[in-house]
Amino acid sequence: MSINNNIWEIAEAFVAGTLSETDLKELNSRVASDIEFAAEFSESTNLLKSMKANGKQKRFRNLLSEIHESEIKNPKAKTGRRIELPAHFWRTAAVAAGVALLTSTITYTILNPSIKKNDYQYVTISREVAGLRESQKQLNQNQKKLETDIKKINQPPAAHVRFTGTGFAINNEGYFVTSNHVVEGADSIYIQDRNGEYFKANKLAFDAESDLAVLKIARKSFHFGKGEVPYTFATGKSGLGTNIFTLGYPKNDLFYSSGAISSSNGFDGNELQYTLELPVGHGQSGSPVLDEKGNVIGILTAMGGDAEANTYAVSSQALISLIHDQLSDSPIRINKTNKLHGLSREQQIEKMQAFTFSVKVYKK
Amino acid sequence: MQGFINTEQQLLESLASGNRKVANQVYQQNYPIVKGWLAKNGGSESDAADLFQEAMVVLFGKAQDTGFRLTCSISTYLMAVCKHLWYKKLQKQSRDPVFLKENIGTDEDEGGIGYEDDVKVHEEREIHYDMLNAALDQVGEPCRSLLKAFYHNDKSMQEITAAFGYTNTDNAKTQKYKCLARLRKIFYSMADN
Repeated sequence: MSINNNIWEIAEAFVAGTLSETDLKELNSRVASDIEFAAEFSESTNLLKSMKANGKQKRFRNLLSEIHESEIKNPKAKTGRRIELPAHFWRTAAVAAGVALLTSTITYTILNPSIKKNDYQYVTISREVAGLRESQKQLNQNQKKLETDIKKINQPPAAHVRFTGTGFAINNEGYFVTSNHVVEGADSIYIQDRNGEYFKANKLAFDAESDLAVLKIARKSFHFGKGEVPYTFATGKSGLGTNIFTLGYPKNDLFYSSGAISSSNGFDGNELQYTLELPVGHGQSGSPVLDEKGNVIGILTAMGGDAEANTYAVSSQALISLIHDQLSDSPIRINKTNKLHGLSREQQIEKMQAFTFSVKVYKK
Repeated sequence: MQGFINTEQQLLESLASGNRKVANQVYQQNYPIVKGWLAKNGGSESDAADLFQEAMVVLFGKAQDTGFRLTCSISTYLMAVCKHLWYKKLQKQSRDPVFLKENIGTDEDEGGIGYEDDVKVHEEREIHYDMLNAALDQVGEPCRSLLKAFYHNDKSMQEITAAFGYTNTDNAKTQKYKCLARLRKIFYSMADN
């Protein structure tokens, strides 16, 4: 090969590593002496390498989608089709097995006189009956599974995205508050109480600006706990340095943390908010922020980006305004009796537990 | 199972060459974990497929370098990359400040894997490939189809000669070089701008 050949031919051979030693030497001396050629050659080899690698990656991506389609989404297509039996078949089969069981019992009865003479046969028969029982049990189970499968169809598909936040009661009549961004665009909203029970909730009012939403448990005459909510809601803004604490559900368990108000305005000078020095995690949006006397002073809404470790809470005043402005037709009673004042922190938390819960949201 | 390759390094090498059986094995072993994790972190099933496949491509890209050695298991690596990609995506979506929407706290120590740099390299490479593909779209026919057939679909020059109706492979080759020259011009003028 001569390096006077087509530059692409040389570049291809170079990238493939098939240039002979003499060719390589010749190439090197030309690259060293001819700057224009060197530039063109390097552009060409880079382009070839990129084209090759890009193509290889594309084929790998295709392979992955193909694997996903054939092995993950439709694994049955390869292992042979399974024929789903209609529900009535299982019922018939169960009856048939019952009949078979009956028959063998009769056989056993008829054979009974001879059993004393032949214990071995007795054992065999009872085993068969046991086997039949097993298979009937199996059939019944299959039918039950089929029935639950049918029931499942009526439930929302499991593929829905789940979001979680925290909510807390406004009063003990099923009204509660959480962050608007938690329930925004929700198909269905549930709360999960500390016993793990789910209750469906409906949105009554919301305000995107203050990031608050007021909801009510769908079930009639629902109560979060025994007696009225133990905390009250601050009607004015609390001062800088006020000691505060919060309870919420970042994961499945109730989480407590404490801190202080570090600024009476929130993110970007937002007057509806407070800036807090309070460690929180994802999933705690909508958690109550209380002062030491048991007044709810705010509702957790957001935390700062990476640089600042600030936490932001919407003031309780914004919640009271939301209730007054949007729900004036059917006013929601806001609790006025404080049962947390003067209690130790452990006692306060204990009393609040029934009124603070996880909010689970399903979205399409 | 019989025929399965068991050391991670061998797995990587086969994965780097695009071996279907190995890709499938890695897919089957790890995809369900990623899907399960993502379901708890606000992602849908199609998100899971996209995310997992992107992580597989990151690993594939790393494995192209024959000197590459994983400092952790393939599973750990894939999971770490998936989490990283997902957090990045969430961060991009949410305005400042970040809402406390889901439980996305990191629960494992993933230090020392170096996946962050890998993802960065991967993203830069993707931008490069996007530009290359954009240039390819401007190169005109039959060049676009010819180059795609050769580089993307791995067709031989013989196959291309037959498919494009050239009289012999030398003619096809000459045409390919002309196309490459045109592509180089478009690509580098794009890169300069």
